[in-house]
Amino acid sequence: MKLGVLYSGGKDSTLALLKAKEFHKIACLITLVSANKESYMFQTPNVHMTELQAEAMGLPLVSVATEGEKELELIDLKRAIAEAVSKHRIEGIVTGAVRSTYQASRIQRICHELGLWCFNPLWLMDQVALLDEIVKAGIVAIISGVFAEPLDKSFLGKVIDKAMAGRLAAAAETHGINPAGEGGEIETTVLHAPGFKKSIIVKKSYASFDGSSGVYHIHEAELK
Amino acid sequence: MTLVISTCAEELSEPEFVTPLARIARCHVKHYRSVSPKDIAKADRIIISGTALKDFAYLDSDWSWLKDVKIPVLGICAGWQVLLQAVPTYPVGLVDDVVIGPREVEVIASNPLATGRFSAYFLHTKNGAGVFDVLAVVNTLEGPVPCMFKHPSRELYGCSFHPEVMNEEIIQNFLDLDTEAL
Repeated sequence: MKLGVLYSGGKDSTLALLKAKEFHKIACLITLVSANKESYMFQTPNVHMTELQAEAMGLPLVSVATEGEKELELIDLKRAIAEAVSKHRIEGIVTGAVRSTYQASRIQRICHELGLWCFNPLWLMDQVALLDEIVKAGIVAIISGVFAEPLDKSFLGKVIDKAMAGRLAAAAETHGINPAGEGGEIETTVLHAPGFKKSIIVKKSYASFDGSSGVYHIHEAELK
Repeated sequence: MTLVISTCAEELSEPEFVTPLARIARCHVKHYRSVSPKDIAKADRIIISGTALKDFAYLDSDWSWLKDVKIPVLGICAGWQVLLQAVPTYPVGLVDDVVIGPREVEVIASNPLATGRFSAYFLHTKNGAGVFDVLAVVNTLEGPVPCMFKHPSRELYGCSFHPEVMNEEIIQNFLDLDTEAL
């Protein structure tokens, strides 16, 4: 089956892609570039990196801009998926959804309307186990956004390795956050993963933090 | 020992619909195409999983062994549709009924699996009731829609929603059914 991956450039959609690749052909990545940083549906920090990530994986990218307004953004999502069907003949969608019934049900509905299969291989995974699997899979992901206490500037730009996974799990214990960020506590950007022919090297970046949330902005990067 | 039976035609659907059940029940999984009489004989209860919305291959398989099963069975979504089709003397067609996303459920008949009102995650395009007793409904503008069922005389339960998503206690209560007392 030819599948398209709803790809934010973060750790979860990358792991979902790797799992899907074990059984099916990945025909394209699909990215929604949202103008709304508070979007309920789509990741925003460094989503422009999906262009380099797609190039690194040798996959075509269907990229669609959206204003990111609640519910209206679903029209743009459906348009993006329909474009992927038309251009790449995909028969199904893969997502990195873990717990959000809000996101999952909306994507399921669009797939049903378009007659597509919908696969969510990370669905209901334990979040500590998820972080562990991401590290073990060889996915190099940096934290590109923090949006909950006690996550501060010191987390921004850091790779999620075994030690960082431990820090996030500890923060989950003390502050009740979702360690893998399923509640929007963190966003991530993948710099390398199995299937990447080259790695992404960040050339210019800066971190902004306002006391309760922060973003690691990647301004310039290249494949090497 | 609990046996979880996968209804998924695609292996990629199993992490979504089967693995969460196996984690809750701490048991082994068999696919419906490979489940054997020996597997059934070793089980003291059975959970039949759901599967992807686009998947209906499970309906073409032979589930006739369910006619003679004496142990408790919980069918979830696709698994519930299997129960509806397999139980003897109650042939009932499935009707088109698209429900995707969380809904409020109201329990209307006393049962060992669920009480009161709760939110549940639905993901189906077909449903039915036959002569199964209705245990719970979703109240809609068109009236109550059955979503949780029990066979009138056997320990066969069905959920048209996915309790593994928002209602693990329903699965736990099924696992805690006292099979010796049945």
